[in-house]
Order: sequence, then C-alpha cells, then structure tokens
Amino acid sequence: MARYVILRTAWAIPVLLIVTFLTFWAVKAATDPVQSYLRINPRATPEKVEQYKEAHGLVGSTPEQYVRWLGNFVTLDWGNSIKGNTPVWPDLKSALANSLVLGLTASFVGITIGLGIGIFSALRQYSKFDTLATGGAFVGISIPPFVSAVLLQVFFAILLTGWLNLDTPFLPVAGIYPPGQTEFDLGLRIKHMILPVTVIAIQIIATYSRYMRASLLDVKESEYMRTARSKGISERQVIARHAIRNAMIPIVTIAAIDIGAIVGGLIITERIFEYKGTGDFLLTALANGDFPQVMPLMFIIVASIIVFNLLADISYAWLDPRIRLG
Amino acid sequence: MNVLKSRSRWLILVSVFALFVSACAGTTDETTTTAGAEATTTTAAAEEGTTTTAEAGAQGAMTVTVDINPDAVWSDGTPITVADFECTWRAFLNTPGSISTAGWTEILSVAAGSSDKQVVIEYSTVYAPYKTLFNQILPAHTVANCDDVSTDFLDNIPVSARPWQLEEWSDQQAIMVPNEAYWGDDKPLASRLVQVPRAEDGGIASLGAGEVDFIFPQAFAGITDALAADNIQFEPGYGTNYEGLYFQQGADRGGPFSDPVFREAFSKSVDRDLILANIYDPIFPGSPLLQCGLWVPTVGPWCDNTQFVDSYDPEGAAALLEENGWAKDGSGMWAKDGVVPEIKWMINTPNPRREATQALMIPEFAAAGFNVVADNGDAASVFQQRLPAGEYDLAMYINTASPDPSVTSIMSCDQVPSAANNNQGQNSVFWCNEDASALMLQSDTEIDEAARAELIHQIGQSLVDDHVMLPLFQFPNIAAWRTDLIEGDAPAADAANYRAFNNSSQLWQPTGDDEIVVGAEQWPECINPVTECANSSWMVWTTSFVVLPAIWDTTSDGGFVLTNLVAGEPTVTVN
Repeated sequence: MARYVILRTAWAIPVLLIVTFLTFWAVKAATDPVQSYLRINPRATPEKVEQYKEAHGLVGSTPEQYVRWLGNFVTLDWGNSIKGNTPVWPDLKSALANSLVLGLTASFVGITIGLGIGIFSALRQYSKFDTLATGGAFVGISIPPFVSAVLLQVFFAILLTGWLNLDTPFLPVAGIYPPGQTEFDLGLRIKHMILPVTVIAIQIIATYSRYMRASLLDVKESEYMRTARSKGISERQVIARHAIRNAMIPIVTIAAIDIGAIVGGLIITERIFEYKGTGDFLLTALANGDFPQVMPLMFIIVASIIVFNLLADISYAWLDPRIRLG
Repeated sequence: MNVLKSRSRWLILVSVFALFVSACAGTTDETTTTAGAEATTTTAAAEEGTTTTAEAGAQGAMTVTVDINPDAVWSDGTPITVADFECTWRAFLNTPGSISTAGWTEILSVAAGSSDKQVVIEYSTVYAPYKTLFNQILPAHTVANCDDVSTDFLDNIPVSARPWQLEEWSDQQAIMVPNEAYWGDDKPLASRLVQVPRAEDGGIASLGAGEVDFIFPQAFAGITDALAADNIQFEPGYGTNYEGLYFQQGADRGGPFSDPVFREAFSKSVDRDLILANIYDPIFPGSPLLQCGLWVPTVGPWCDNTQFVDSYDPEGAAALLEENGWAKDGSGMWAKDGVVPEIKWMINTPNPRREATQALMIPEFAAAGFNVVADNGDAASVFQQRLPAGEYDLAMYINTASPDPSVTSIMSCDQVPSAANNNQGQNSVFWCNEDASALMLQSDTEIDEAARAELIHQIGQSLVDDHVMLPLFQFPNIAAWRTDLIEGDAPAADAANYRAFNNSSQLWQPTGDDEIVVGAEQWPECINPVTECANSSWMVWTTSFVVLPAIWDTTSDGGFVLTNLVAGEPTVTVN
C-alpha cells in the first residue's frame, strides 16, 4: 500500500506542474496582465510598463515567467491586485474560507442524506419509498440551482416572512451576515447558510442517491454476496459489512473529485446569494483581467483537484486491494 | 471614456469622471505642473513623465477664488484648508493610475489667498467645466504623499466632512455613522446607514424580505410587476444612459455611409417609433423617444429635445435617392451603378435588447430597400477594437451623458482617428464638420451657461443635419423602498440617478430600528476616489461623494449647487 501511495504521489507532482503551466499560459493569454495594467494606468510611459513587467516577472519566455511566478507563489509572495492595488492573499483567503465552509457543509449534508436515501431505495427496490425517491431525484437533478434558489428565496424569505408577520426575514435572502453585523455570530452564520446549502444539497442528494442505489443494487446481485449469505451471516450484517462497503467504492471516487472542485467555487449559488466565495472572486478577477488574482486561485483549484483525485485513488486502493496489487 | 458602454454594469456615469474624459481633447499635453506655495518640488511619482514647476499664484487665464467655511472641519477635528485643495489637485494630477487628469492639467497653481481658508486656483485657460473639479476633496493630513495616493483609501476613507462618516468598509458591507464634527444643519436622521451588495434579482428579493430598505435597480422588462407589493413604493427617474444608432461615415473607410446622400436617406428610413413600441416600451411603458443627440433632457439645458422629432421620412428618403441617381433593382434594393451597398450593423452580443432590435428592423430596412446585415461581436471586440477602428457601418450602443456637455473629445475633427493622433482619436463615427468642431471648442471656453447652451444646441443641430446618429431612448432608473421601513415619500424627491444617496441623511427617515439599509447593485473592489476604483458610479455616489466634501454638488437635473463647505459663491475672474 505504501509503495502504491508513493508512486501515485510522485505522479501527481509532474501532473500538477504541467497542468498549472498550461493554466498559466492560458490565463496569461486571456487576461494579459500588461494590457490590464495599461487599462488601469493609461498614461503609463513605456519605461513604467517595462518596470511593471520586470517587477511582476513578465519578461522572458513563458516557461521562464512560469518558473518565476511559481517561485513567488511557493514563497507566498503573491503580490497585489492590478485593480485596487490590494494584497491578493487576504481577499483570496477569505473567499476560500467562505467557499469551503459552504461547499463542505453542503457536501456533508447532501452526501449523507443522498447515500441514506440510495441505500434505503436499493434495499426496498420498487417500494413506494423507492418510487418516490427516484422521482424526487429526477426532479432534484432537473431543477437548476438558479431556479431552486429563487423559489426558496421567495418562499422562505418573502412569503413566509409576510404570512408570519415577522420583522426580519424568516430565512435570509443573501449575504453571510445580516446587514450591519460586525461581529462573529455562529447562529446568524448558520441561519444565512441554510438556503445556499439547501440549494447545493438538493442536487447532491439527488445525484448521490442515484449513484448509491445503482451501486448497491449491483453489489447485491454479485456472487460474493451469495457466498456471504451462504455462510449463515445475518442479512443485516451482509449488507453492512459486504454490500455497502463494496458499493461505496465508486462513490468515494466521485465524492473525492466533487469535493476537490469545491475550492473553485459554487459560482451560481454564490452569485445569487451574494456569498463572497471563490466563484465570485474568480468572476470578478477575470472581469478585471486581474492576473495576479486569477493565477493563484487557479493553481489552488488545480492542486485541489489533483490532491483529491489522489485521495480518491488511495481510498479506492484501500477499499479494493485488487487495485493496489494490480 | 464618455462613450461606449453597452449594458455594462460598470458604467462610468454622470460624475465628473465622464466629464474629465470628455474634456480630454484640450488636454493632451502630458506635462504636469507642481503645486503649492513652494512650487519647486517635482512630482516624481507621476507616470506621465516630465514635470514642470509653476510659481504659486502665477496669473493664468482664469482665477477661481474660494472662501472655505470657517466652521468646516474634518470629522477628526482638523480644519479644512487650502492644503486639502492643493493635495486634491496633486493627487488627481500625479497619482499613477489617476482615473483622469483632464481639467486638473488646466490648473497652474492652488495657493492660499488671504488665509489658509481662502483658496486661489489659477487656470492656464478659461475652463468652462471648472465646477466639476474639486468635488471630492481629499484630507491632506491623512495622506503621506499627495502626488501618489494609489495606496491610500483602499478600504477606508478615514475622515469625513459630510453628514455621514465611514465606519467600516469591506467586500460585504459599508457602514456609515453620523459625523459628530459636521457643522451643517442636515445631520443624519438615522443612527446608521448600511450598504450591502445586492445584485438585480437579489436586491428585489432582499427588499421584499425586508433585509434592505432601499434599492436602486436598473429598469428591465417586468420590473414594475416584480416590485408590486403593498409595502413597496417605487419611483422612476430618468438616468444618464441613452441608446442610439450611430453611422460610421469615414471617407477613407469606404463604407456606404461615407456617401452623405445615402446616409441621409437611410437615416430618414429608420422608424424609431417602431423601435420604441417594440423594444423600449415593454421595459417601461409610456416612456418617450429621446429627441436630442448626445445629451439628455434631464441633465442640464443642453438637450434641445425637439431636434430629431421629424427624423422619420421614408418618402423623402426615396425621393432623395432617386434625385441622386439611385434606383431599386430587381430585388427591391436601392442600387447605384448596379451596386447594392451592404450595411454592416454591429452590436455586441449577447445583448437580447439589441438582438431583438436587429430582428425587428432588418426586415423593415429590407422592405425600404436597404440591405442591412447583422455583423456582431462580443463586447470586447466591439467596444475596444471595432468601434475605435471604424470597422462597422451602423452601430447601436449606450452612451452616458455627463453634467458637462462638452463633446469635443468624441466628436471634433481632430479626434477622428488618424496618424496625427496616433489613431487614438475618440471620434468613432469619423464625423468631421469643421464648423461644428469650432463650436465645440468655443463652447468649452464659454462659462456663461445660457450662451453655452445655445452653442451646444447648434452642435446638436449639426448632428441632425449631417445625419451622424439617431437617438433612441433614455433609460430610466428606479428608486424603490419599503414604506414600512423608511418613513414617508421623501426618497421619491431624488429618484433620478444616484443623487438620492447624497441626500440620504435627510430624505431617508427610518422607522423601527433607526437604521437605513441600502442594497447596492454593484460593489467595487476598493474605494480610492482617485484611481480606477472610482470607475464605478456606485462607489462614487454611495461612498466617496457621501463623505468627501465638494465646492459644488451636482443635482439630478445636471445643475450645480453650492455646498456648505464654502462661505459663499466662489469668485471667477477671467483675466
């Protein structure tokens, strides 16, 4: 197992470098930091432009620039944004934290409920519950987040608030805190996350319940399940020890990849709920052509996806010895 | 620029910044002058290159003398003096990345008069839009280097000289509290003014939920239905954005509109009422067509809103073409010497309104005998490449009217892109009328408003006579507020533009929690009033204008009112 982990990790490093180099090249071509600088400083002299390029490592070939940028990145010298001239890290840190809190909470809620529904549906195949869960899953998958978000906002924030004659919204429409809140307040923070988490979780529940149901049904029909039953083990133990564990193998892979993508932000949900996460950060930075803001986030997104893929591979190998031995 | 903002939410609006650029034509000199009594320091931080010095008080072509109100102090108690005016001049002039130096380059010196409460501003030329400068006076004592404030005010404007004082600003919210040192009578009626980002739909939902008390959304089809509720009142007010059709007529471009006869005939064939009925009326029913060129009737006296009333004349168009040797070919298209001109109509896509206009009008044009084809592109290529290069025949886009009516920078002959201006000219319709250009330059130095308005009306008539463009629609803004959270009808008084925010201390009287919450449609990355951060009308109107003092405030109708920063009307002397 250790050898497998080392080998997979060793492969991940060149993949990370190659992908981030390609990303660097693409982002630089798309945002052109020198042009962005000139848009903000239209009267800059050629000398000033050269100074800017020198100071930001924008001279030499693209590989040379990438190496220089990477050196600054790993030493946490992330520089300032082009627009506003503000340090990149504090804003990016805040956005990352917000997206991770939202994404991980929604993933935890969504995957837990989704797997539960999937297991129950598979165990009660063609029951009323299974039929209802299947129909609900199709609805959940079909409703885009911008529709479910608006529906939830209208019902929980506007209609319910009016019906109950409340002074403040039953559930908040947007933001991380109520307007004017300046101190940390866990209760208010949770209250403000309910609707965005629900919007994201609806799709996760729908998707994972289908994955789990299908996977468990596959496993239930396999020969080793018959073998397990023939040993005289109770059905409950057969399901818990053999069926669910094996059915989880593909699910773990998908979950790891999904969670790894969270740092990229949940763009639609974040925009609708005015949630200042990485999705919002990335869109704004791209709109401004702000290379110093875009590139560190892109690196983190790529790294996160690679790391979580690696974790998925390792989990897969741990759950299924055939993989690491093969 | 004072141009070309399609549906961008980040419009460079009214404020002086649009004006600054609009005045660029006369300020191409990269040379800057240093300020103040010393008048010997150089502005090393300036990016423009060379700097020169000027003697304090050196007499220029125009002198403006301002007496500062003796009671005027910053919120930390520091008196407001000539040093703040001088610092403001230097900051706008020399800061790397200054959003515009236009107007500031016309100033020779800012010096103390009889005391440090009297400011004497010397201009090198007679500068008609002088009232648009010094409308965000910076606190010199909070700035380390007035020649470079690019790293100041990023997330804080530490002191105020207005009723409100900024207590906190972040990417989540801005909180303002009453300025206890404020000397005026219009002290805030609420204990806090909170602004939070709420985009279009989110703003309306937040208003409905009672999370915010006031929003200022852009109009869109169905907005009146979206705002329909017993406890929500809304009031339309005309903004400064207007849409029009523009004819590229560069003689060296070879386009069909370089032929003045063909251009006039086409212009007379555009049924603007049809566009109004099908495109704009659904957005805000009952709104009229705009009938003047590059101005709007609600901003100053510059728009003669009758000039384009008779623009539609299809019979006249046909007669004109026939008189000049044109005839319809077998397919019903106007042709000359067997050639049917192809008119490339450029819009930025995606833009449902403009695409719908093309879908509506291209068949109408074909029926009238004009071969019009859609030739669209994304916003970046349309506004940054093709429009400046004149790579179109017909264009449709939004322009922004500023309080200062000068169009010299976008319509004069010397702004037609050419080798002489390094192809950087801003006249993207390639219109050159020497008489009109002379009127433009004359109007830029005319400080009598009535006389200037007459000159502007003459320029407007030239737009009509030369068939430069066709105005279509002035877009309304909407102020909407919760009647159970804000008392009375007061916000309706200044629904147009962002002026409502300037009066927020008096107009918005809260109920219940003693706090006013505003949902802001746009949220800037920073709040520096000098740099690119100020390229956000929302930031300027809701933040920097609300805390930084000015000699004059602009009103919703494009006028100027003296503020209580000064003791009386400044003296203007043309030397």
